[in-house]
Amino acid sequence: MKKYLILIITAAALSSCKKWLDVKPLTEVEQEVLFSTEAGFMEAINGLYTRCAQQDLYGKELSVGFPDALAQNYTVSPEDPNKYRQTLLYNYKDGDFVTRRDAAWKGLYNVIANSNIILEHVDKQKGVLTQPVYAIVKGEALAMRAYCHFDVLRLFAASYAAEPNGKGIPYVTAFSKDVPRMYKTGEAIDLMLQDLNAAKELLRTADPILTPGYKVGYDAVTDSSNEKDGPLFTQERRHHLNYYAVCGALARIYLYKGDHPRALFNALEVINANKFPWTKQSDFLNPDEEKKDRMLYKELLFAVYSANSETTDALRRLLRDGVASLYINLQEGRNIYETGGVGGEDFRYKQWFSEQAYSSGTYLRLEKYTRDPDRNIHPQLAPALRLSEMYYIAAECSFDTDPAKAWEYFNTVRLNRGIGTPRNDPSKAVFMEELVKEARKEFFGEGQIFYMYKRLNISFPGSFGSTIPATSSIFVLPFPDDEIAFGNR
Amino acid sequence: MEQRYRIRINYVGNTVNGIYADAPPAKDPGVSMIDYLNDFLRSLGLEAEPAGKDQYIIFRKEKSRPASQPAKPAAGVEMEALNTTTPGATAPATLQQQSTVSGLVTEESGLPLPGVTIVVKGTFNGTKTNENGKYRLTNVPPNGTLVFSYIGYKSMEVKVEGRTAIDAKLLTEVQSMKDFVVNGYQKLQKDNYTGSAIVITGEELKHFNPQNILQSIQARDPSFRLVENNIAGSNPNQLPNINVRGTTALPSGTPGQLSRNQLASITNLPLFILDGYQVSIQNIFDLDFNRIETVTLLKDAAATAIYGSRASNGVCVFTTKAPKEGALELYYNYELNVTTPDLTAYNVLDAGQKLEYERLAGLYAGNEVDGEEALERLYYAKKKNVLSGINTYWLSQPVSNDFGHKHSVSLQGGSSSMRYGVDVRYQTNNGVMKGSGRDRYSLSNTLSYSPRSHKLLFRNQFTISQVKGTESPYGSFADYVKMNPYYPIYDSNGRLLREMDKWNYRSAAENSAIRTEHVLNPMYEATIGSFNKQEYLEFMDGFNVEYNPSGQWRISGNISLIKRKQTNDHFISPLSNLFYSYAGDQLKDRGTYEYGTEDFTQVDGSFTINHNEVIRNEHFLNFSLGTNIQSTSSTLRSFKAQGFTNDRFTDISFARMYEKDAAPQGGVTEQRLAGVFLSFNYSFQNRFLMDGTVRVDGSSKFGSDSRMAPFWSYGIGWNLHKEKFLQHTPVSQLRLKATTALTGDVSFPAYLSNTTYQYYTGEWYSTGVGAVFNAYGNSRLKWQRTHNYDLSVELGLFQDRVYFSPRYYHKLTTDLLADINVPSSTGFERYKENLGEMVNKGFEVYMRANVFRSRNWSVNLNLNMVHNTNVITKISDALKNYNDDVDKQQQENPDLKAVPLLRYREGQSLNTIYAVRSLGIDPENGREIFLNLDGTRTYDYNVKNTVPIGDQTPKLDGYFGGSVIYKNFMVEVSFYSRLGGDIYNQTLVDRVENASPWYNVDARALDARWKQPGDQVFFKNIADMGNTLTSSRFVQRENRVELKAIYLSYEAPASFYKRLRMKNLRCALNMNDIAYWSSIKLERGIDYPFARSFTFSLSTRF
Repeated sequence: MKKYLILIITAAALSSCKKWLDVKPLTEVEQEVLFSTEAGFMEAINGLYTRCAQQDLYGKELSVGFPDALAQNYTVSPEDPNKYRQTLLYNYKDGDFVTRRDAAWKGLYNVIANSNIILEHVDKQKGVLTQPVYAIVKGEALAMRAYCHFDVLRLFAASYAAEPNGKGIPYVTAFSKDVPRMYKTGEAIDLMLQDLNAAKELLRTADPILTPGYKVGYDAVTDSSNEKDGPLFTQERRHHLNYYAVCGALARIYLYKGDHPRALFNALEVINANKFPWTKQSDFLNPDEEKKDRMLYKELLFAVYSANSETTDALRRLLRDGVASLYINLQEGRNIYETGGVGGEDFRYKQWFSEQAYSSGTYLRLEKYTRDPDRNIHPQLAPALRLSEMYYIAAECSFDTDPAKAWEYFNTVRLNRGIGTPRNDPSKAVFMEELVKEARKEFFGEGQIFYMYKRLNISFPGSFGSTIPATSSIFVLPFPDDEIAFGNR
Repeated sequence: MEQRYRIRINYVGNTVNGIYADAPPAKDPGVSMIDYLNDFLRSLGLEAEPAGKDQYIIFRKEKSRPASQPAKPAAGVEMEALNTTTPGATAPATLQQQSTVSGLVTEESGLPLPGVTIVVKGTFNGTKTNENGKYRLTNVPPNGTLVFSYIGYKSMEVKVEGRTAIDAKLLTEVQSMKDFVVNGYQKLQKDNYTGSAIVITGEELKHFNPQNILQSIQARDPSFRLVENNIAGSNPNQLPNINVRGTTALPSGTPGQLSRNQLASITNLPLFILDGYQVSIQNIFDLDFNRIETVTLLKDAAATAIYGSRASNGVCVFTTKAPKEGALELYYNYELNVTTPDLTAYNVLDAGQKLEYERLAGLYAGNEVDGEEALERLYYAKKKNVLSGINTYWLSQPVSNDFGHKHSVSLQGGSSSMRYGVDVRYQTNNGVMKGSGRDRYSLSNTLSYSPRSHKLLFRNQFTISQVKGTESPYGSFADYVKMNPYYPIYDSNGRLLREMDKWNYRSAAENSAIRTEHVLNPMYEATIGSFNKQEYLEFMDGFNVEYNPSGQWRISGNISLIKRKQTNDHFISPLSNLFYSYAGDQLKDRGTYEYGTEDFTQVDGSFTINHNEVIRNEHFLNFSLGTNIQSTSSTLRSFKAQGFTNDRFTDISFARMYEKDAAPQGGVTEQRLAGVFLSFNYSFQNRFLMDGTVRVDGSSKFGSDSRMAPFWSYGIGWNLHKEKFLQHTPVSQLRLKATTALTGDVSFPAYLSNTTYQYYTGEWYSTGVGAVFNAYGNSRLKWQRTHNYDLSVELGLFQDRVYFSPRYYHKLTTDLLADINVPSSTGFERYKENLGEMVNKGFEVYMRANVFRSRNWSVNLNLNMVHNTNVITKISDALKNYNDDVDKQQQENPDLKAVPLLRYREGQSLNTIYAVRSLGIDPENGREIFLNLDGTRTYDYNVKNTVPIGDQTPKLDGYFGGSVIYKNFMVEVSFYSRLGGDIYNQTLVDRVENASPWYNVDARALDARWKQPGDQVFFKNIADMGNTLTSSRFVQRENRVELKAIYLSYEAPASFYKRLRMKNLRCALNMNDIAYWSSIKLERGIDYPFARSFTFSLSTRF
């Protein structure tokens, strides 16, 4: 009898103990605690973007860094203090390149993992979220998961055009320590589209950017912009993956897959919304640094807010530290922007580059990210999706059916960049050549042009008139060693 | 009555047993105390006799009852556990052939004991020893038993067996403690216990080193090992790291933990238990030595399993002295401690040699920085110093011989129901670096109350301690070692020089820009008001209730609270050399103040039920059922301020601002632990022994999927000396024991098992602050498990005058907490998992012999040695990856190029030294020849050729020594020896080959380096300024002997101390770390020199 009594007491003690042993940390936040309030979900969503804004991702590397180096946009000095020479030579075994590549992979998947945790909790905790917040949180988390996967795909998998059933990438939809499964390129793209379309449906119901009164504009100018209205979390929709950003991403990915009708549909949804006005020349060319808009801010569908002093310093070191930085050979720059011909008056060349003298001549410094150090009409940003890209997508997708319309989209962008001479040519080859050249000018220092070469699987111009052949050894970055080793890839 | 009349009544335990009486009416003032007592006692068949002032002894009246009436055997818990109640001993003595027995009663040290009561067991026939400890007792039956008893000593029973002369040696109660194993929950008789436990008395510890408890424990048990700290030397504020039977944890594979010195940061400490509750190593480090009664070291898992998840690294159980009943007594102890630096490990160049070395090293040959003329001027300026006789011995500048005092007063007394004790301590301990020290003050109070029936006992003990540690303002000792001897300290006016030298060099980092190196006087740092101190105030209270409803049951509850508040203040004066190069705007930012606090709270409670049972005098059973809960929380806060105006206003409020671009630091850690255990102990006729323990532990650190963990132990033993065939042989003790157990370890950080979020506090996103997850929390995380196997033999010969005990152990630690790499597409790179295995096995030998014994002399020898082998049997990929990372770091990080770094390989030990194999110096050109992995020779160093070279684990290490007692004198000597371990001689690398010739170097840099072709030397070319890298050349086999301790004591004779109204008087002298002989020459005590210490102590009792 005594024995039983002891057993019962012990059992009772043990079960109440279990609760007592569950200690909540006070200086760290447990996931369950974070996701018990609406504010926690908002913080987690903000966390996704803050993570994206770090220097290993869009804060520096994936915007200004190695993808543009791979596209041969830069020149480096013999000392090469920033260690990009081997990247320019496509030496994918170079230690510095490997470090940056691995950091990008890890960073993107880290954002994905963060999205997955949010998605795991958002439906469980539907009760604590109001409907619009639920839709925005879930929509943005889904969109972010797809957006980051797409950049992994564009870096590490053969293009859809080259190998639609290529090895692909891991498409991760759960936060777990289990080795994520690989999806073929086509499968991965379909998963991204699925996530993005779901996100689009969710955001359609809740995104304030869709309200007719929502106007994009400059933060610092008291014009009719109302991007700062409403609760903090739903302000600055263009710093989040908003409804139009999702449309833009869909257009981008459909185009990558070669699904022109759907790409066009989504691109046109953005264009026809007329939400994003072309930047006024007076803003772009404003001599007053504080009022100057080099970023073409109003045209951004989505950009990562990266106004962190460390990031700003890092960008300054990378781009503005004399010839020790990534710079542009004067002649190369002039060739890219066709300054001897049609680009003689291109605002972009004039505003985004400055001629700097150095011991053996003159070079071009990239000024796209230059701002007044104290104040500016828009914050420091890493551009991610632009209105011009929508026009380019629309143009490319409509050329086969309506070349004139295609040239019209093309010329619209050029016109807004100061190139008044419209082009028109029935040849698709000519059109594509012109389009690629324009895209390179437009996306300089934004990390997009390399993906375009890859998507089209075309050879592209290297330095001093050379040509880089379209081969997978250049277009497909090897997976990180750890991924191969621990994931059996 | 004792309380009422302020008298003391003494009696032998079984005199009054079984007699009950009501309290007598109050005494008439006219009646003398002795008459009053006798009036009352007469009816009870007792008689009182005066024995000194206010002291009375009670006897049974000689003729009142026939001796044939057997007295009931005493039936206390303790007596049961002692198993002394064998039926034969209680039989009444027969009256035939009674004889007279006489003899001498002494205490363990051989001093005669007056006043000891000797009674024939079961009768009322007794006597007392005289002034000289001699007694004579008539009418003793030859088959009877004599019981010797004396207050403060353990009673002893001796069978007469027809003898007429019986000498007895009484052990003090403390010494008799050694017969028991106190494990914090139970008190078990050592004879019947299968676990491996060492019991050391506080007094024994003092014989080794009265300044350092942990050091003293190490000397008594070889498997309790303080990890040598060559960097911190004898810094009195440095807490040691301890291993018990080898390391059982892996450092987590973060790339930060590279060098071996950081290996010392692995938390592998044993569990410390003070009077039943857990305390930190710091509590023990600062504990008042005089309060310790015993230390029980539980080493094998059978002994520690009762602590379950905390048991893997051994348990150290401390018990403090309980106040004894009796009139007020005052103990006083004084210690004078002198520390003196031991600089014998240093051998640096003198002024003339140093300058010659600089010349040979080519400092004054053209160097493309300065012109030849400028260099020549520099050389001759120094030469002038040398010739004018400047030869500063920098090593002696920051050190001094220092004194420390300790006064310790203890008051105690009380009646059998109410006892009290108060301990006060004042202790200063100054280190050999000037200005460093650790001062400790403590006050503790013990109250115990037991109501009349003695079935209940309440005991409360509280302690307040204040400890203040100060670091030397003189800075690191290494700064003095490298100072050139031709620098004067003071200028011609006797003022301290600040800048002593400067030269130009080309910076490798900044595109070969020319920079100037300034040599600043380290002595200057001590004159400018900087300080670095930590202080804590601690309150500890332990409350204990014990209920003994009968001799067989004991129920006890324990609750304790520890609260500690610690503050750290680190002020660096704006005038410090650190800010020498500050200019312009920076000037106002000179001077920093770092302030930190820690609040620590621990509540620990336990509840235990003990039951013992004797069945047919053959089966002895002992059960314990207990539970224990513990909750700790610690809060840390710190911040830093900068910008001080001068060195006079050092309060933090004078700071200009907080540290630039820095945030305050802080952290809160909470841990909870709960456990239930059941333990049983069985012996059959004291011959066959069996022990077993089961404990279930839950910890807040475990993952939510595995909150509860079971642990167990099982042990068997055989007391061969109780068998017939060993009776009447020289073998007085022979015991075989085997145990096995499963124990755990939870010394990993809290919260690893939860996925937690962190905020981007420093980074704002345009729509609010962001949060991302920290790391993947493995909810299946569980405790590390150690499977233990232990075999031991205890052999005692000639009444244990020779004692020999070899032990073998095997510890397999599985589920080692290790980082597991996952493909980073999961979103993280690694997580914590229980993977990895490590084996520690080894043997320990204890030997003790009383080689000579006579009336006045006693000579004892003792030896304890241990050999431990550590093998990593399984590691995770993350650690393998870590090795590659280490290779890379070693190649790239200039600070790590010449240091053997920690690597992990299966089949190797954690103590393996990894380096590139070297064939030595080529006599042809003074370059080092390396071996590639394939055995070919090369001059080119490649870190990929790194292989395991040696093992730091010694073949054998331990202590040996002996003691001699002559009358009232005692000498005890202890040596430590370490045989056959490898050491990477960092001195040869850092201070000979890689030493910058601009600074002072080891003397071997001048005389033992290669200078011309044909030189067959150990060191490379003297003019070779290139970096020497980690190679096997510097791995040396070490044999070492240290004279660790000498203890001298003198016990004043009674005639002397009685004149001073004292109850005893003893003076003692301890000498510690006296001498050191090693087969290799290594600089020891890099940041803080080692010290010799001398302690004179005086203790007395009033």
